[in-house]
Amino acid sequence: MHSQALIIASRIIKQVVRDRRTLGLIIVVPIVVMTLIWLSFPELPGTLDYIAPALLATLALFFGFLLTGISFLRERSQGTLERLMASPVSRLDIVLGYLLGFFLFALLQTLIIVLFTIYALDVQYKGDLWQIFVFQIIVLIGAINLGIFISAFARNEFQMVQFIPLIILPQVFLCGILWPLEQMNDVLQWIAKFLPLTYAVEGMRDIMVYGKSLLDVGFDLAVLAAFAVGISVITALTLRHSSGG
Amino acid sequence: MLVLRFCLIPNHFPCIIIYNMIGGESQQLAVEAKNTSFFYGKLKVLDNLSFRIPAGISYGLLGPNGAGKTTLIRLLVGLLTSHQGSISVLGRVPSRQTAHLIGYMPQQPSLYNELSIVQNVDFFARIYLKDNGNERSKQVEEAVKLVGLWERRNDGIMKLSGGMKQRVSLACAIVHNPPLLFLDEPTVGLDPELRVNFWEHFAGLNKKGVTIIISSHTMDDAAHCDRLAFMRNGQLIAEGTPNDLRQATGKLGASLEDAFLYFVRREEKK
Repeated sequence: MHSQALIIASRIIKQVVRDRRTLGLIIVVPIVVMTLIWLSFPELPGTLDYIAPALLATLALFFGFLLTGISFLRERSQGTLERLMASPVSRLDIVLGYLLGFFLFALLQTLIIVLFTIYALDVQYKGDLWQIFVFQIIVLIGAINLGIFISAFARNEFQMVQFIPLIILPQVFLCGILWPLEQMNDVLQWIAKFLPLTYAVEGMRDIMVYGKSLLDVGFDLAVLAAFAVGISVITALTLRHSSGG
Repeated sequence: MLVLRFCLIPNHFPCIIIYNMIGGESQQLAVEAKNTSFFYGKLKVLDNLSFRIPAGISYGLLGPNGAGKTTLIRLLVGLLTSHQGSISVLGRVPSRQTAHLIGYMPQQPSLYNELSIVQNVDFFARIYLKDNGNERSKQVEEAVKLVGLWERRNDGIMKLSGGMKQRVSLACAIVHNPPLLFLDEPTVGLDPELRVNFWEHFAGLNKKGVTIIISSHTMDDAAHCDRLAFMRNGQLIAEGTPNDLRQATGKLGASLEDAFLYFVRREEKK
């Protein structure tokens, strides 16, 4: 059906694997970040157990967004996207191929970071490990597509990096990781309802801290899945070959 | 109609030649533009262009930077849509459905820097050809050999010079043996020896029935083309064989450069 998406995905995998430094960073950076956070929580046992799920969701969104956003932007600025759009490949295949290729690395990153957090940093959790991963995967798919979509509005890497404070930071502030959502004023609580990270943090916390199942967090999961599908459809429909917007 | 269908399958140049014979006309049209205009915002980049390019020839789009050559090529490969008039390639409106019949070499080599030469060419072969391993690797080898980079096939693109990148880019454009090639300034950055090689290869492709449309701003390339279109400020100021254009100046021994200037002045007088 979408064999050309597979061709594009395999090309992306080859690209990243041949770029050793990038591959190394993909693996090392999340470990370093989690270790730093862990080191900053030494005196308060149990706090990290509560914060960790929110951090895992946030890092998934952040890394998924960054990885895909920057590399998709490069496709635009190098002209390879335009070259591809002059070929028989459909826009949907391009977006699917990108999603698939980067999903593999994002998944690798998530596996490392979740396992490292649980086993190396000894963070206590309830719920099933596989359910944690399934939930993270849904968060990742949304993050990757968000990266592709947002890259359309940046003309260069410099601008793309500036979208991080614009797109990611508000979500971090409003997702309940810093302050409980219930303590914020009504307007902020209302805004938070429209941000995917809010649901990602809520769901991860429910699974890891309260031992709920995927079924119990079905609403969060559905919102995140709808976001992932919605943003990929919008991305495929609005995909343009040139940069800038 | 059946004949036409067969002809549209790439990698079947003989079919195209047969088609040309059956078609009865001396030559089939590869490209046709009728009163085509294109705007970037309010800026008119292509101004009412009309021309026909018969199949199996090398056709040069000549003109200074900003003449609209690249925009025209991007219209022809289906990346842009004209705002006025119509355009057709091989009898059809340029779209994703015509893409497999077309080889496109953009002005800026659009390659994946992390990948090797052969990985780049193979990627485009996979995109354009039905995934037939043996056939595909043969065509990849042929294309890479043709641009003289087989010995360095496993080198990453980062290590290559500008001219070598141009050659890889050409290999990517021709790997699926398309009947119609659009090359946007393919000879920029090439040394004279390679330039000659390129043109020899283009002539060989023409003999197989392949139509090649080349944009350039050097008159050196122009001399190799069967027909030329002189472009300036988005307009077509003259069109014909290199000889026709030289003779139009009325001067003995006029060069193509002279011819270009002659048509520019004539246009300015209007």
